Amino acid sequence: MVTHTRKTVSFKLIVLRLLALELTPTTYNIKLNFILVAENMTSTLLLEQIFNGLQAGITLFLIAAGLTLILGIMDFVFLAHGSQVMIGAYAAAAITIATNNFYFGILAAIPITFVCGYLLEWLIIRHLYGRDHMDQVLATFGLILFFNEAIRIGFGPAALFTNFPSSLSGFIEILPDTPYPVYRILIILVGLLCALGIHLFVSRTRVGAMVRAGASNPEMTAALGINVKILFRFIFAAGATFAGLAGMMIGPLTSVEPGMGEPLLILSLVVIIIGGIGSVRGAFIAAILIGLVDTVGRVMLPMLFKTFMSVSTADTAGPALASMSVYILMAVVLVFKPTGLFPPKGA
Amino acid sequence: MKNNVLELRSLRKKFGALKATDDVSLEVEKGKIHALIGPNGAGKTTLISQIFGNLKPDSGDIFLDGKSITNTSVADRALLGIGRSFQISNVLMDFSVLENAIVAKISHSQETFRFFRPAFSDPSLIEGGFAILKRVGMEQMADRKVSDLAHGERRLLELALALAMEPLLVLLDEPMAGAGPEDTIFMTKVIAGLRGQTTILLIEHDMDVVFQLAERISVLVEGAVIASGTPDEISQNRLVREAYLGSDQ
Amino acid sequence: MVLDLFKKFTTLWIILIVLAFFPIFTSTFDLPFWNDVVMRIMLLGMAAMGLNIVFGFGGMVSFGHAAFMGVGAYCAGISQYYGLDNGWYQLLMSAVSCGILGILIGFLALRTSGIYFIMITLAFAQMLYFFFVSLEEFGGDDGLIMDRSDFIFFDLYEPLRLYYLIFFILATVSIMLMLLIRSRFGVILQAIKSNESRVEAMGLNPLKFKLTGYVISAIICGLSGCLFASWQEFVSPDIMHWTRSGDLMIIIILGGLTYLAGPLVGAIVFLLLEELLPDLLHVLFPPISENWMIIFGPLLIAVVLFGKGGLMGVMGSKLKTAANREKT
Repeated sequence: MVTHTRKTVSFKLIVLRLLALELTPTTYNIKLNFILVAENMTSTLLLEQIFNGLQAGITLFLIAAGLTLILGIMDFVFLAHGSQVMIGAYAAAAITIATNNFYFGILAAIPITFVCGYLLEWLIIRHLYGRDHMDQVLATFGLILFFNEAIRIGFGPAALFTNFPSSLSGFIEILPDTPYPVYRILIILVGLLCALGIHLFVSRTRVGAMVRAGASNPEMTAALGINVKILFRFIFAAGATFAGLAGMMIGPLTSVEPGMGEPLLILSLVVIIIGGIGSVRGAFIAAILIGLVDTVGRVMLPMLFKTFMSVSTADTAGPALASMSVYILMAVVLVFKPTGLFPPKGA
Repeated sequence: MKNNVLELRSLRKKFGALKATDDVSLEVEKGKIHALIGPNGAGKTTLISQIFGNLKPDSGDIFLDGKSITNTSVADRALLGIGRSFQISNVLMDFSVLENAIVAKISHSQETFRFFRPAFSDPSLIEGGFAILKRVGMEQMADRKVSDLAHGERRLLELALALAMEPLLVLLDEPMAGAGPEDTIFMTKVIAGLRGQTTILLIEHDMDVVFQLAERISVLVEGAVIASGTPDEISQNRLVREAYLGSDQ
Repeated sequence: MVLDLFKKFTTLWIILIVLAFFPIFTSTFDLPFWNDVVMRIMLLGMAAMGLNIVFGFGGMVSFGHAAFMGVGAYCAGISQYYGLDNGWYQLLMSAVSCGILGILIGFLALRTSGIYFIMITLAFAQMLYFFFVSLEEFGGDDGLIMDRSDFIFFDLYEPLRLYYLIFFILATVSIMLMLLIRSRFGVILQAIKSNESRVEAMGLNPLKFKLTGYVISAIICGLSGCLFASWQEFVSPDIMHWTRSGDLMIIIILGGLTYLAGPLVGAIVFLLLEELLPDLLHVLFPPISENWMIIFGPLLIAVVLFGKGGLMGVMGSKLKTAANREKT
């Protein structure tokens, strides 16, 4: 239903003013389409998409934060980070289904993901530090295969569906007349809280200072005698936990299935490249940016395309271009700032 | 107009607040062995890197045999006639000694985009490779894998590769670094033997070697050249003695 | 010269000879199914050999090469869609498109190195993937069904014609690579992998050589993809998913990174395991017979941790004669 709020009307006026009113048949049709699109693109829909974008961005941040530190400090290309997301999602889903309690599922899954990350670093990852990237890529690709297959064995290839608890399935009005799912708001809030926590930890604590030192100068950090091994293990496990948390939270929103982590991994890699490898702040900003571009783009671009293409073409070209836009953005950033938007100082 | 193979004019390079190269002007005469000395951290390697092309100066000009090379790439400078031996051995580890020389010869021959004939069994390349090794007396080690070489032998190969393209100017960045006394004597002899055949800019810490080889010495302290002259002039220069040699020289 | 090539690349020659005579074996024992498997081995092996020019011999970790296979496959599919059934023409189209694409992508990506290079190749692969998904006209996500192309002298529906066409192209590519790897160009490419700054110091511009290698590898992958489309009689964006590039890398590593025959050996091992392991597991350990893939993960990790010689490396260390040193 199209609601004519004040915002929509003024948008229409702007559109009309921007397009000179030449009334030739084709241009008139195009402009008419454009106006119709503009009308449909109410502030409600736009706001909703923006919030979805924020939620997607925050989720990406939780995943990218660990990844940027792992790559920046340990110089380790950890492709299996997506698997950490999957492990978190499955752990929470399994416990939720078993105990019929969503909150318990999440609370129990957090330490499980931490332990998984810890064990993974201890058993396998630490043997690969200092190896060239090719080795790390191959080994972590092997881990992806292993985890995906292991999940298939344990839970079957079909997706697990979980629902959020009734206490969280409502809507709240973020603005008058703009209902938005409580659950997604919660994700945004939890994510922001985590971001704040990470920020405070990295900038205010001693361990955080070591992390920052490690990000801008790994060799020096080791030379200063800081127990680099334990530091690395901790960073790795923490990164895994946040990734797992992301997985746990988006579980009910998407399908929990083998291989769910890989698309998020790719996006996270784009995030950290744009943000600057090793920079948590960069990861945050880039993640929000990409979340918005990807989400809002997916909706807006088909609408935009519909003004001059057939509906069916627009419906596929739109999302396709939206997916590509993220990479185009990365390419543009790399041309102007090869080390990303906010590289850690000294890098 | 003096016959200068290398001329540096007002070269400047800063890393943040650090003046690594502070308005350096230098002339290296053809056929001479010119040494660049200075305390650790003076910016010698930085200067060499700018001459070689690894590093771009913030301002200033570099002339090779009268031609400006300030904006030329590393590879092109090598083709124009600059050879370099690196401070840390920079050779092709997965290849044999002769194969290293052959790769240099391939480049020298300018026939690089060949896709059919095997390179390592090409007689002209093998001959050229051996010639390169002979210059430093390494022909016997031709078939040894570089990864099996001793440190001093690698430094020798490093030197051979620097000379491989018959360069106008050879940049030797601490060729004796880490070499034992025997290897040092041997390499000093080899370098001395090049006198007149090519022009050498030598960075070296070992003062005995420097005074044995150099016909001209420039002293770099904190990025700036504080003195340039013959070995005698330098050893008696008060500024140099204070800053570097110590008053007991 | 030919004898020399045989001595240097013994394993590869032996495999090629076996492949040439394999159909005789299968027809004698009436096992035509295995021809199909071997065709897939040849196609995958060829693509992997193409990738290995830049991966094993050039030291570049490129996730984009499955995309070249995909482009080659779509050249076949799309041509046929518009009535251009001639297989030779499709092969030419694949080579040209992948060549051009290779130049474009390589030119942009090869200016970077390390993780940035990986990401850029990955990004291009994703872009191509999403691009083809968006082509509703050609099936989009669901793909495009097609017939085997018309190769004029070879009616691909006659038994074994496709087999020998693939074999012919594989053999040609193999011989070309045997020459290439020992040529001046090949030597320089390997030197760049060994120590890029030294090669630069010798007066060679690494970018030119890496780019050339990249384009050649792209074209080979494209040819493989084009034939793959005919073999499968189906084209879809799945062929070019970035994880397919990972599969190619697994194949290369299993067989041996620095050996010319490595990728082909790896393809043989990979696909034989795919065929035989499920049945084996069914007998030994029924619950996970469907999940034989789980072996590959740890296998890959083990190969990486304990030496990248792969199967060829293991074999090579057992044979001491110099004639079996296949690495130039």
